[in-house]
Amino acid sequence: MGRIPADYLLNRLFTLFLTVFIAATLIWIIPRMSPINPVDVMIGRMAAGGGSVENSGAILAQLTERFGLNDPWYVQYWLYVRNTLTFDFGISTASFPTPVVTMIANALPWTLGLMLISLVITFVIGNLLGALMVWERTPRLWKVAIPAAMVFTSIPPILSGLLLMYVFSTQLGLFPLTGAYGLNVEPGWSWDFAASVLYHGFLPALSIVVVTFGFWALGMRGLMITVQGEDYTVLAKAKGLKPRYILYKYMIRNAILPQITAFALKIGMLVAGQVLVERIFAYNGMGKLLYDAILDQDFPVIQGVSFVIILMTALAVFLVDLIYPLIDPRIRHGEATS
Amino acid sequence: MSILDLENLSIDFPTSKGVVHAVTGVTLSVEKGRRVGFIGESGSGKTTTALAAMRMLAAPGFVSGGEIRLNALDHPNVLDLSDEEMRQVRLSKIAYIPQGAMNSLNPIMRIEHQIWDGIVAHEGGVSEAELKRRSNAALEGVGLDPKIVARLYPHELSGGMKQRVCIAIGTCLDPHLIIADEPTSALDVITQRHVMQTLREAQARIGAGLILIGHDMGLMTQSVDEIAVLKKGELVEYGPTQQIIETPQHPYTKELISSVPLVGGASFLDPAPATPAEGEHGDDPLLELRGVSKVYGNVTALHPMSFRLDGATPQIISIVGQSGSGKSTMGSLMLGFNPPSTGEVLFKGRDVYTQSAAEKLAFRKDVQAVFQDPYACFNPFYRVNHALKFPFERFGLSKGADHTRTAMEEACIAVGLAPETVLDRYPHQLSGGQRQRLIVARALMLSPKLLIADEPVSMVDASLRATILKNIHDLKDQHGISILYITHDLATAYHVSDYVMVLYKGHVVEAGPPKEVIGDPQHAYTRLLIDSIPWPELDRDWGSYESARAALDRLAEIETRPETVYRGEVPGFALSQG
Repeated sequence: MGRIPADYLLNRLFTLFLTVFIAATLIWIIPRMSPINPVDVMIGRMAAGGGSVENSGAILAQLTERFGLNDPWYVQYWLYVRNTLTFDFGISTASFPTPVVTMIANALPWTLGLMLISLVITFVIGNLLGALMVWERTPRLWKVAIPAAMVFTSIPPILSGLLLMYVFSTQLGLFPLTGAYGLNVEPGWSWDFAASVLYHGFLPALSIVVVTFGFWALGMRGLMITVQGEDYTVLAKAKGLKPRYILYKYMIRNAILPQITAFALKIGMLVAGQVLVERIFAYNGMGKLLYDAILDQDFPVIQGVSFVIILMTALAVFLVDLIYPLIDPRIRHGEATS
Repeated sequence: MSILDLENLSIDFPTSKGVVHAVTGVTLSVEKGRRVGFIGESGSGKTTTALAAMRMLAAPGFVSGGEIRLNALDHPNVLDLSDEEMRQVRLSKIAYIPQGAMNSLNPIMRIEHQIWDGIVAHEGGVSEAELKRRSNAALEGVGLDPKIVARLYPHELSGGMKQRVCIAIGTCLDPHLIIADEPTSALDVITQRHVMQTLREAQARIGAGLILIGHDMGLMTQSVDEIAVLKKGELVEYGPTQQIIETPQHPYTKELISSVPLVGGASFLDPAPATPAEGEHGDDPLLELRGVSKVYGNVTALHPMSFRLDGATPQIISIVGQSGSGKSTMGSLMLGFNPPSTGEVLFKGRDVYTQSAAEKLAFRKDVQAVFQDPYACFNPFYRVNHALKFPFERFGLSKGADHTRTAMEEACIAVGLAPETVLDRYPHQLSGGQRQRLIVARALMLSPKLLIADEPVSMVDASLRATILKNIHDLKDQHGISILYITHDLATAYHVSDYVMVLYKGHVVEAGPPKEVIGDPQHAYTRLLIDSIPWPELDRDWGSYESARAALDRLAEIETRPETVYRGEVPGFALSQG
């Protein structure tokens, strides 16, 4: 523990870079294997909008040239790598000529806000409920109620979202149906705006929490049963420690360790994780951006969003590698794992 | 004055197959400053009885009758206390020292914090300076240096150190009664003696009563004043240690005493037959190690050594040592599982690690293994037949289903099992002893040339050990199989082997026929091992706390200048260091 050795840090950084590089290459290759030409799609959309397109052949050639689709693959790849490293993902083909990075910059805070908060809430609630399912002092009512609540886990988030919308918005009128903030407030750092964001974020967040807490609760339950049988938990009881102290310092504190690794992996996934929830709540985050981009064959946006997801996952794993020795003294930086 | 009185105590475990009476009608008292041993085999109710005094029975067990009185309390009846009152009694009045030394401390908490939380739970706000003073005193009381140990995490301590930390925790509030549940069962004999002496010293210092739970009659004889013998939940014999050892009344007590194998004394083996089976005759020795060593990272597990086992006359070679001596490393090297760092392992003249696939197959058939844990050796999803049948068929020994069945039955009978009671059953339906004998039967079915048995009896109940060793010994006499017997138990090695090598930190320190090496040890380390064995004889002194500590110092000294004492040769086997 203590200081992080330089060679370990370098090793981890190299792994981080390599992971991102390989994954970025894959997301460049995969869309190119698709038979659809994005410029065709663009022309098609223009035609749909304006009836017919004059000189469509010339426009096609010009756009193909403009997007660099005539260049040999290695030139395209080299430009892609160079641009990606500078966070230049090019220009959206669907929302031409908006730069992809601008679209991501607009969408990312919404998703991070909504998803990170709901992930943290889910993590806390799920693990706590999972722990309470095992703890011997949990009131009997809770021991029945928690497994019963697991029923929600089997509902796809899209249905739970619709159900929540029906009950809380349509029937009770308590929460707004869609959107990330009210039309009557000006986006900016004001209390009104913040309140509006929280008000609008409540239902989407709830729909995620309700269907995903079971993942954490079930995992935690299994881990807690193991910890409950450990000799140190038995000794803690024999020491006459207070039951809550045993629950937190001996049981949860040890059982939570593998869950933290899972949490890091989820951070990366959460950006794309709830595409459909964002979609049905018309919440302008990364999920909706990715969803629309796939429908529109918007290669630059797909690549940009995918790259951000990869980067977030790799960064989260990198951070967990660094902090894990601080939360588990048995793990040391730079020690070979066998 | 008695500290604890158990009065006609009964404990039941309701299960789906009816009520199990784990303990029935146990009556006994523990006096102040006295040490009482609870002895019996697994399932005898000894731990259950002791845990009931702390009201820590595992669900669904409950006290179905009788009384537990802890006389230090205003209201001595333990069963009437509320949960919160009971919590306050634990550690401050009754302390518990657990069995699993390896796992008894919270892995993410520093040692001193695990002493502090016990103090705080019973005395409330105590200043950190005061806590520090008391935890240091508690650690010093068990011979640990607080400057080194207090800030460490459990994984940084050895098993013996962890168990002494548990004793420090158990004695830090000066309880009236200490319950120690097999506190040394995971430790080797030298550490066992030191930990046991530490516990006795701490218990005498605070004047507490002690309940020592165990299954080893020798350890009980050397450690306690009174012995309570439990069998199937009943107290079959109870009295002063001297009386129990010298004039045992109940046949079960006699069995427990006689099941401790002694160095010297009568052998538990059958006399060798007039015409012992012949071994393997060949131009090359059966097994040969040439300058073999093993290094893990910067730790040398095994220093270069060589030996040659001819195999013409089958022999049992024992490799004896504590945990960490390199004996299991030797076993895995010889089994071809663990390539040596230097040197070569030859089986019938072929290097085990460079042989062709066909040679490897023949090697696997000819060299069989019996491991320590009879529970982990079977796939729980298959009936035990599968474990016996599968290798037999795969090595092409089967001439059809009937032949396989006959071979399985013969092998079972050879290890003293009735085939109809064990075959066609699942592993969990059999006892540990039955499983371990099936593992021996499985090896026997393949008619191997060499058997490597790594601690084959350390996890089975004492009364079964002799039987299983007898089975293994018969493999030599009746089937001509040479055996490498890896063990920490000198007494069994004394009886079964033809040649013994004592290993310490990867060095052979003493080697020769068992009558010389174990019967009359010359090397300081071998003598230390023999002295550390607790004998079930009252006139044999186990030594004092100081001598147990001095023994550890002597160990460190031995490590600095390794030497090998050769105590004689046996035909067909040659050993050299280097």
